[in-house]
Amino acid sequence: MGNSRHSIGWLLVWFAGTVAAGLSHAADSPDQTAALIDRGKYLAMAADCGACHTAPRRETFAGGLPISTPLGIIYSTNITPSADFGIGRYTEEQFSRALRRGVRRDGAHLYPAMPYTSYAKFTDDDVRALYVYFTQAVRPVDHSAPQTELPFPMNIRLSMMGWNLLFLDAAAFVPDQHQQAEWNRGAYLVQGAAHCSTCHTPRGFLMQEKTSRALSGAQVGPWYAPNITSDPISGIGSWTKDDLAAYLRSGHLPRKAQAAGSMGEAVAKSFQHLTPSDIDAIATYVKSVPAIHDPSDNGSRFAAGEPFSELATLRGRDGITSGEDDPAGAELFQGNCASCHSAEGQGSKDGYYPSLFQNSATGAKNATNLIAAILFGVDRTISGRQAFMPGFGGHPTDANALSNEDIAELGNYVLTHYGSAGTTITEEQVAEVRRGGPVSPLLRLARGGMAAAVIVLLGIVFVVVKRRRPVSS
Amino acid sequence: MASDSSADVVIVGTGVVGCLVAESALDAGLSVLMLEAGPRVDRWRIVENYRNLPPSLRLFHWDAPYPPKPWAPHLETRRDKESEQYLQLEGPNARAYLQGYVRYAGGATWHWAGLCWRLTPEDMRLKSLYGVGRDWPFDHDALEPYYTAAEYAIGVCGPSDPALQWPPNAKRSKPYPMGPIPFGPGEQRLTEVAAKIGLSNLPAPQARNSGVSYHGRPPCCGNNNCFPVCPIAAKYDAATALPKIEAKGGKILANAVVYRIETGEKNSIEAVHYFDPEKNSHRITASTFVIACNGIETPKLLLLSKDERNPNGVANSSDQVGRNMMDQPKLTADLELKEPLWTGVGPVQSSSILNTTQGEFRSRYAGAMFRMENFARSPLGAAAALKKGLVGKALDAEIRRLSACTARLSVEHEPLPLPQNRLTLSDKKDWLGINKPNIYYDVGDYVRQSAKEYTVPLLQKLANELGATSFQLSSEFLNSDHIMGGCIMGSDPATAVVDADCRAHDHDNLFLPGGGAMPSGTASNSTLTMAALALKAADAITAQLKHG
Amino acid sequence: MLDPDRDDFPTAFNLARREVLLGTLLVGGVAAFGTLPPASAQASWSDESAARFMEISSLLIPHHLNEAIGKRIGSLMSALNPSLSDHVTGLLAIAKAKNAKVVEDFFPDVPEGPLKETALSIISAWYLGVVSDAPDAEVFAYEYALMYQPTRDVMTIPSYAVSGPNGWTANAPPLGDMPEF
Repeated sequence: MGNSRHSIGWLLVWFAGTVAAGLSHAADSPDQTAALIDRGKYLAMAADCGACHTAPRRETFAGGLPISTPLGIIYSTNITPSADFGIGRYTEEQFSRALRRGVRRDGAHLYPAMPYTSYAKFTDDDVRALYVYFTQAVRPVDHSAPQTELPFPMNIRLSMMGWNLLFLDAAAFVPDQHQQAEWNRGAYLVQGAAHCSTCHTPRGFLMQEKTSRALSGAQVGPWYAPNITSDPISGIGSWTKDDLAAYLRSGHLPRKAQAAGSMGEAVAKSFQHLTPSDIDAIATYVKSVPAIHDPSDNGSRFAAGEPFSELATLRGRDGITSGEDDPAGAELFQGNCASCHSAEGQGSKDGYYPSLFQNSATGAKNATNLIAAILFGVDRTISGRQAFMPGFGGHPTDANALSNEDIAELGNYVLTHYGSAGTTITEEQVAEVRRGGPVSPLLRLARGGMAAAVIVLLGIVFVVVKRRRPVSS
Repeated sequence: MASDSSADVVIVGTGVVGCLVAESALDAGLSVLMLEAGPRVDRWRIVENYRNLPPSLRLFHWDAPYPPKPWAPHLETRRDKESEQYLQLEGPNARAYLQGYVRYAGGATWHWAGLCWRLTPEDMRLKSLYGVGRDWPFDHDALEPYYTAAEYAIGVCGPSDPALQWPPNAKRSKPYPMGPIPFGPGEQRLTEVAAKIGLSNLPAPQARNSGVSYHGRPPCCGNNNCFPVCPIAAKYDAATALPKIEAKGGKILANAVVYRIETGEKNSIEAVHYFDPEKNSHRITASTFVIACNGIETPKLLLLSKDERNPNGVANSSDQVGRNMMDQPKLTADLELKEPLWTGVGPVQSSSILNTTQGEFRSRYAGAMFRMENFARSPLGAAAALKKGLVGKALDAEIRRLSACTARLSVEHEPLPLPQNRLTLSDKKDWLGINKPNIYYDVGDYVRQSAKEYTVPLLQKLANELGATSFQLSSEFLNSDHIMGGCIMGSDPATAVVDADCRAHDHDNLFLPGGGAMPSGTASNSTLTMAALALKAADAITAQLKHG
Repeated sequence: MLDPDRDDFPTAFNLARREVLLGTLLVGGVAAFGTLPPASAQASWSDESAARFMEISSLLIPHHLNEAIGKRIGSLMSALNPSLSDHVTGLLAIAKAKNAKVVEDFFPDVPEGPLKETALSIISAWYLGVVSDAPDAEVFAYEYALMYQPTRDVMTIPSYAVSGPNGWTANAPPLGDMPEF
């Protein structure tokens, strides 16, 4: 009797505590809510939710952005608090599961195009702030985004369960006691919100990040996210921490690099808005990432090339014509590039148009970014100022389109004289970048594997059935 | 869907007018086929052509980087023999009609200056207000929305301060899509000096991307060779519209020289015929036809197409086709100055003085637009310094001085539509056997009087104010490349070729938008007005085809 | 006479004018050049001649000169003017006699006549990037033509960016400045 009274007592206390906790959530003061919203907004910006969940010409966070992956197109979802089309019915618990475990409210799995593997690092408090921000401060948009239909068998989301079992590290971030607060803050942001590894860490056959080669470079659609480890040749070991901070804030570092593609977007939508101390923290952490050296790199991608032109022999030689087949790389360069990047590739005096030598876009052994820059251009707006290079045919409406052959010719000229002289690009490479990047063999193999499995199964059935036929007497 | 031989709308000419009509029609769900006499070319090739020209041809010879195809001739500099000249010009001011358009896909906007002035309300009512010329058949309010649409379609930058806008007395329904382009030192100095004598040098609205990209094209970075070609397509030219038209499903046939418009019973247009480079003829049909191959080629084609139903040429019951040929006769003054007026910074033209175009005096003589030319004068300074036999430091200093301390001022006069200024078919034939255009041109007393009484004295005054130590006026009137009047607009079919929608009075499925339709030439650049007329005509075409 | 006002007008559209024009058009006033030098003459411009041509060019023009362009100028000019090699020798001799380091040291000693005309032609060629004014003249330099250099701090070389978008101003350096080149 006494015991049960005690138990009931503890039960009541526990219950009251839970209710109180629940009530205390519900009863946040307006100031506390406002602070949470601010914090959530900042974290959403640090995590760059908008980069995927806000599509051009669609409302904020209403989804609909087609993300091209090696397995097909994935559309981002509506994460506004719309009850029928967004996350309006999500509890905080469900929000947390989606964000950190990649599981939707209806139990379906998200594809890791949503970087939940990184967001798993978010602390409970930060998840809470994000939840409050998204459900209370974002405007609900009551229409759906297009549905994602990956080709069979990738459209079976249940397969993600197995994948997660193998590859999802569900542990929240744990600070390293041997490191300073700034480093830990940087680690938390880089591993979590900023999800750098989802682009910069190479992936294995099943598209999982290879954590042993963290941040050593990977293909992202038509662009290449380079090695940003501390290796002085293959990575950014030659950069100071201030260099990196400056790059993250502004999107470029003269005579070194400039951000384009997804990184340009990341700087424009996310990094340029972070606090200076968070930027410094990120820079501190990234600069400490273990060096990973690519043995085939003989020089840093930031130090290649010098001013050059063939003009002394070219000028006047190609004459006045209305068109020609097979123009040489030098002609294509002078006609298409030099008007902005200057006759010897040195860029404009004010540095707006970067030099093409001592520039990672040309100096990298992997010429993907050079090809992508030529095809798709650069467009990032930082501190209200737009940095823009037009694309030369990546979009059908481009004013000055170049063929795959011309881009290969031009690219090789640029690589030889301004960048990685040992790199050669082919028309096929250009065509692949133009298509959006390499396709994963996973799809073909998965289908092939399944077909093989079906054949084997049928074969077994056949044998079994045959064996079971009665022998005529 | 357009095929190679038919579409809802067939457009002859891929210049700014044709391309604006094409996009508008495609957006309305109509099929479009465009026929272009000349080739499609890559911009980079033209840029390299320009750099490969000798210095004597890099300035003023704006067609030189565009070698014409034999089947689509246009004005050329590099031809030796006079007999090979394409434009046949006569009259006291033949030189002033030496029009430098380009028969390439994209048309003359390849090498236009890009200035986008709007007409004033008064510019459209010369007859009512000043008793000269013709009135437009609609007023400025009717044209304003189309000006705005054109500015957004091609990407025009301009000042948001109403005090700097033109016309000064007409409201804009929308701001310019982009802010103004900054002045270089020369324009700044001219603005300050001109203000002292009551001349207002305004930042020009220009079809150049200012500070930001627009429609995927980069912003201007001061290449300073807008003519003859913008190397980066920061300046709008119709060639940039071609991929967009194709992306929307329009078909473009290049190297297709239309030589005849075929009429059918009820005198509607049945087809157009074109030659390909092998001289094979092809017949193209459509519901509606738009002839927009510029103010010389369009009337030429109409005259070439005379048949039994139209003995004076298609659309020519008024006998006005090819008449009233207008351009802004131009005079230039080359100055030597005591103080520098640095050119070569920013676009080649970025400002103009327009308050000199308006006033009661227009009942007696022409209004005129003044401006300085902002192309880099370094090659001129160098050539002049070298001629003096200087060497070493003295040579360099003199090159710098002559480059900085010389200037060219231009004044462009408004023309009147004179019926005797006439395009007819020459007996000389081109490579395809098509009659070359023959143009008789006399700038008229209206212009001559203006030069005598008004513009030349004002030029001298401005030159003095600038501290000129020498003043050299051009010996004759020159062309401004704004070809107008040859298919003049009016409500009366007896005296006009097209109506207020640029529809031919004689054929209700034939449209002739462009400079040729303008009833008044005025003193300012015609392109934006042509673009507005293109969009207005496109609205009429769409309404006609979709609602009958 | 070449009329700069004649937009797009052929510089020589009939035969009679052509001859007159050729006489006056030539850069530095050197006697009649044809426009197409015979191929054999070009081939005979040796490395040794090219080196001497560069030497006299550097003495006549106190600026950085591109050797590959110098080779083109020299071989072009020598094809049009067979005495070029001798003139170069003569000019070098005058320069050496004066122990000249720059053109002002020896130019006053160059006698009027073919020697001076050649000297001025060489200078003109480097500055303008052509050897004659004819519409079909071979162009060997545009970006490297020196004529753009004395004003390079203000004016762009046409078709090349002056700065980033809208990055220019109405300020200009003093006329007395001279860029280094």
